[in-house]
Amino acid sequence: MSELRELSPGRLAWLRFRRHRLAMIAAGVLVVLYLLAMFCEFMSPYTPQQRNARAINAPPMDIRFFDAEGQFHLRPFVYDLELTINPDTWMREYEENTSIAYPIRFFARGEPYEFWGLFEADRHLFSVDPDGSGYIHWFGTDSLGRDMYSRVLYGARVSLSIGVVGVGLTLFLGVLLGGFAGYLGGMFDSAVQRMTEVLQSIPTLPLWMALSAALPAAWSPITTYFGVTIILSLFGWTTLARQVRGRFLAMREEDFVIAARLIGANDTRVIFRHMLPSFTSHIITTATLAVPAMILGETALSFLGIGLRAPVVSWGVLLQQAQNYQVIVMTPWLLLPGAFIVITVIAFNLLGDGLRDAADPYSSLREQ
Amino acid sequence: MSEILTVTDLCKSFSDQPVVNSVSFGVRESTTLGIVGESGSGKTTLVRSILRAIDPDSGTVRYNSRKGWQDLHSLSPKELLPLRREIQMIFQDPFASLNPRMTVQAILEEPLIIHGIGDKESRKQRVAAMLEKVQLEPSSASRFPHAFSGGQRQRIGIARALILEPRLVICDESVSALDVSVQAQILDLLASLQSELGLTYLFVAHDLRVVREFCDEVLVMYAGNVVEQGPVEEVFNNPQHDYTRLLLSAIPSPDPDEKLEPLARDGLQLEKV
Ligand SMILES: Nc1ncnc2c1ncn2[C@@H]1O[C@H](COP(=O)(O)OP(=O)(O)OP(=O)(O)O)[C@@H](O)[C@H]1O
Ligand SMILES: [Mg+2]
Repeated sequence: MSELRELSPGRLAWLRFRRHRLAMIAAGVLVVLYLLAMFCEFMSPYTPQQRNARAINAPPMDIRFFDAEGQFHLRPFVYDLELTINPDTWMREYEENTSIAYPIRFFARGEPYEFWGLFEADRHLFSVDPDGSGYIHWFGTDSLGRDMYSRVLYGARVSLSIGVVGVGLTLFLGVLLGGFAGYLGGMFDSAVQRMTEVLQSIPTLPLWMALSAALPAAWSPITTYFGVTIILSLFGWTTLARQVRGRFLAMREEDFVIAARLIGANDTRVIFRHMLPSFTSHIITTATLAVPAMILGETALSFLGIGLRAPVVSWGVLLQQAQNYQVIVMTPWLLLPGAFIVITVIAFNLLGDGLRDAADPYSSLREQ
Repeated sequence: MSEILTVTDLCKSFSDQPVVNSVSFGVRESTTLGIVGESGSGKTTLVRSILRAIDPDSGTVRYNSRKGWQDLHSLSPKELLPLRREIQMIFQDPFASLNPRMTVQAILEEPLIIHGIGDKESRKQRVAAMLEKVQLEPSSASRFPHAFSGGQRQRIGIARALILEPRLVICDESVSALDVSVQAQILDLLASLQSELGLTYLFVAHDLRVVREFCDEVLVMYAGNVVEQGPVEEVFNNPQHDYTRLLLSAIPSPDPDEKLEPLARDGLQLEKV
């Protein structure tokens, strides 16, 4: 008990967060996703543009421990796929050829890649024997024979980082403009207020479309990436700015802030030592809840063909391939990036809920 | 004794509603001036205007500092800084007035850091000495405010106000939020610190019995105006103003058999100043 008394509010919040089971699971899922995205060159068995002419539109391959005779193998393996043309429908169909098995090798050599653009490497977390005869596509392949799992991981890097970079920019704009509006008041406050009202009254999707259409098609993928991020965050900061402003206005009158001024603290000290710290938990929560909106924004733009464009790989770009009903009927595994989007968005929302409850134990009571 | 603070014609309105209306008074050094009045009569606004936590509309606040008389409201923030050391405030709400994210050590050290007093080691000693003075355990320093009771937090607030060794301390209902026994302890503490350090108190209060016990002089406020002021015994024994009489008649008597006098509130006529 006496130890509990010495805990900082931050430690107490962490203890409360740990009790939030769903949020803990969500945090775990996100950590895995972000690790996969960060090290996607190594984590994926192929590079995103690598084609496998022997497996076009191949369905996901099953990873097996038991062979056709029911015998157990310690090393997992996949069966070769045999292409058949259905004589009635003329459709390409794949069937497992149980006479050829490709054992999975860990840390195997494969397609060379440049890791983070820093150094050359050719090790992959898992692959099959690198002699070129075997292949493994456990998420299937697309119409050009490219490995979907590798493409989902490379896409994750772009989509997940847009979420974080975009939210970073949003936070910066929101805290800066909202903070000054709340602290300074007067003319600056009115100007920021009017600006947020105007921005909030414009429906976002048509506006995004208009701005994205204005991005020159000749831009390099990386410039387009930043262009899209800026467009997304340019309209995201208003909500946060309003919240920060409101909090600053209210907090300016709080006793402990007045107390700080009365012992002689100057504005900088009051803002950074007393006001912002009691606001960080709120900022973190808001940021967490804002990431999915960014990711969905990127996906929506790319899906409509006005955000990122191939050869850049993002989840939105991948889903663009899955735009017609033929895909849904015949190659439904091309929708897997959609599942990743759903999981990511849900995980961020659960995490945000957990953080909010941990940071402010009374908020859930207040909302009832 | 000489005066330490002189307030003249202080006025403050909020949206054209006068809240403090031309208030004047003086406080003598090492005495306690009580300010009483009902809720909303402008007591907080008055004392916060003195400290420049609120900008008053007009009036002067003159303070007799260690370096002579100063007009608090004509000083630049830089010139004001050394005077902040001499005038401190103890807040009403012991829960709201301490930064929940700072340890007691950090809270008590901050005034010393701002005023550039001592080095790390000597500041630590000063904090420890101050904690002892307000009767808190030395181990309190590493804890956060949430780990203390209301009375203990109020002691932390007192320690923060006194660590700069001020001469004038403004207590805005500093004991109102505490229960009676803790109230008595804190008042004893304030009184002993006064006799030890020669402090001057400006003591805002609701509870007239506390004022009678604790203050030397009293100022009665009603709707932003000072309706009566003078030595406590005089005002309490021989109130000149109807409003003061009304306030005094509202003090519950310790004798349960005594009949309550009907409050003549409705018939009360107050001439507006
Ligand atoms: N910032 C403000 N803006 C507008 N009105 C205010 C503001 N601060 C105080 N008031 C008004 O001024 C009046 C006096 O308030 P004040 O807090 O000074 O009263 P008080 O005597 O300290 O009351 P209490 O005993 O309840 O603390 C109240 O009617 C209040 O509504
Ligand atoms: Mg008050």
